[in-house]
Amino acid sequence: MPPVIELDQLRVRLGRREILKGLSCRLGVSGSGKAIGLLGPNGAGKSTLIQALLGFHKPSGGGARVLGFDCRTQPREVKARIGYMPENETLIANVTAVSFLRLMGELSGLPAEAALEKAHETLFHVGLGEARYRPLGTYSLGMKQMAKLAQAIIHGPELVILDEPTNGLDPAARRRMLTLIREMKQDHGMNIVLCSHLLRDVEEVCDEAVILKDGQIVHHADLEAERQSNKRFVELEVAGDDSGLAAALREMGVESIREGDGRWRMVLPPGVEIDALWRIIAALDLRVHKLTHRRDTLEEIFLKAVGHLPSGAAAAPEQPEEVAADGRL
Amino acid sequence: MAVYKRGYQRYRGELTGRYTRLLALPRFVWPRLIEQRMILIVLIVSLFWPLACIGFIYVSNHSELWSGLGGDLGKFLQIDGKFFRYFMDTQAVMAVILAALAGPGLIAPDLAHNGLPLYFSRPLSRLDYVLARLFTLVALLAMVTLFPAFLLFAMQGGLAGMGWLTQNWRLPFGVFTGFTLHILLVSLVALACSAWVKWRTIAGALVVGFFFILAGVAEMLNNVLEVTWGILLNPAQSLYTVWSAMLGVDAGEGPGAWACVAGLAVLSALLGVVLEKKLRPVEVIS
Repeated sequence: MPPVIELDQLRVRLGRREILKGLSCRLGVSGSGKAIGLLGPNGAGKSTLIQALLGFHKPSGGGARVLGFDCRTQPREVKARIGYMPENETLIANVTAVSFLRLMGELSGLPAEAALEKAHETLFHVGLGEARYRPLGTYSLGMKQMAKLAQAIIHGPELVILDEPTNGLDPAARRRMLTLIREMKQDHGMNIVLCSHLLRDVEEVCDEAVILKDGQIVHHADLEAERQSNKRFVELEVAGDDSGLAAALREMGVESIREGDGRWRMVLPPGVEIDALWRIIAALDLRVHKLTHRRDTLEEIFLKAVGHLPSGAAAAPEQPEEVAADGRL
Repeated sequence: MAVYKRGYQRYRGELTGRYTRLLALPRFVWPRLIEQRMILIVLIVSLFWPLACIGFIYVSNHSELWSGLGGDLGKFLQIDGKFFRYFMDTQAVMAVILAALAGPGLIAPDLAHNGLPLYFSRPLSRLDYVLARLFTLVALLAMVTLFPAFLLFAMQGGLAGMGWLTQNWRLPFGVFTGFTLHILLVSLVALACSAWVKWRTIAGALVVGFFFILAGVAEMLNNVLEVTWGILLNPAQSLYTVWSAMLGVDAGEGPGAWACVAGLAVLSALLGVVLEKKLRPVEVIS
C-alpha cells in the first residue's frame, strides 16, 4: 500500500518567499485508518503544505504524492480521494445545510440522489440532524465547525484533511469533534491529517506527528510507539524492606535501578504488564507511595523540536498517574 | 430505515463524470435565481417584445388583414434583416439587465464567504468552475434571446413556408450566432464584475456601468481624435456592427465587422484574465 503522503524535496514559493524548503517524508499507510498530526509554530508552513497537497499552490521544486497519486500531474485523482475542512469560515450563509452538503456531495462525484441521502446521513452523524434545514448563516460557531466537517466527509474520502477542527469550540463540542475524528479513523478506516495548534488534540487522536519549523520538518514522531515506550518506563517509591525487589524484578526480566530511600526506576520488557509488578510488591509486603509512568508529552517533543527546550530536559514536572482503588493505573 | 437510525457509512458507489459534476452547479443555482422577484419580473417583461414580434409576423403573413388599408404598409410589414435587428437590439438590452441581476450572485457570494477552497478541494478545476458559472448565466440569458428567436423563426417558417427560410438562411444564422456572441460576452462581463467586486449590488451596477462607461469612452475618443475606430472600445456598438453584417443590414460608419470581432475577442480575453486573477482558492500576498 502506498503511503498516505509522500513528500520528495517539496519546495513551495509564494511570491519571493520560499515557504516550504525541501520537505521529504513518508507519512502513514493508505487504508490503514491512522491519523497524522501536523504541528508547528505560526508561519511554519503547515497550511501551505496542506494547500500544496490540495493543488492550491504549485511546487517550485520537488514533488508530493497523496495516496500514490502525484499532486502536480494527477490533481483530479488526488482531490477525488480527499475531504478538506478548512480553518476559516467558508460556508455560504443563505443556503440550508442539507442543500449545501448535497451540492458538495455532487461536486465530489456522488449521483444526485445519493448526494441528498448522504447529506441527511452525514448531518445526523455530526449532530446537526435537527438543524439541517436551517440556513448556515444562522449556525453558531460550533455548528459551523461540524457543518464543515460534514462537507469534508460526505463523499466518504480515503483521506480527510482537517485544519484546526477544534478552533473556537467549547469543551463539550471539542470532545465531540475529537470523538468524531477518532470514529472516522477507527470505524470507517479513513486516514486523517490533523493540523492543530492544540497539542492535546493531536496527542489524543494522532498516531504520528510531524513538526514543521521555518518550512522544514524538524521532527517526525511515531506517537503510538512513543506511548508504548512511555508505558514501559516506570518509577516506583515503596516503604518497607525492598532488598528482595531487585532479584524479583531481574527474574521477570525487568531492568531496574535502585535510587535509594525506596525509590526505583525500571523498564518493563514487552509482555510484562504493570499487574505483575503489583503482585511482586504484594508478595514482598511493600507499601507503595508512588507508581508512575514516564509521560514524555507531545508538548515536550514539540518544544524540543522547535528549539524552546534543550534536548533531554523536561518541560514540566512529571505528573503521576492516579492509582485506582484496586491498584490499577 | 430512517436516515437518523442508519448512522454514517462511507459512500462506496460509482462516481459521476466530469460534466455531470460540472452541471451540479447550474442545477443548484437556477432555482435560487428564479426565486428572486426582480429576476422573475425581468424574465416576464423580456417576453413582451418577442410577443409583439410574433404578432407582427402574424399580421405580416396575413395580408388580408391589412391589404384594404392601402399605402406603403406592405413594405413596412416585411420580415427581413432590419426586423430581426430591432428584435435583437431590444432583447440584448433585456439580457444585460438580467445579467446585471443574476450574474453578481454567482461568484461574489463564494468570494465573500471564502468558499472557493471548498470547491477547488474537490475534483473541480478553476476552468470547470468558470464554465459551470458561465453555463448558468448563458442558459438564463438564452431564455430571453435564443429561445424567443427560435420561436420567431419557427412561426415565420410555418406561416411563410420553408421557401422563405431557404431564401433567407442568413437571417437565422445571423441571429443565433449574434445572440450567442452577445450572451457569451455579457455573461463574461457579469462574471468578471462578480469576481472583481465582492458586493452583489455594486457588482450589478458595474455590469450595466461597464457598457455605458465604455460607450462614453468610445464616443469621446471618436470626437476628440475625429476618428471612427473608437467604437472598437464600445462592445455594444461592436456587436451591433457584427450583427448588422451577419443580417445583411447597413451598420453605418466605422470599422468593419472583422475589426469589431477582433476587438470583442481582445475584450473577452481581458475579462478572462480578470477571472483568472480573481478566482484562486487562496489569496497570496507577496
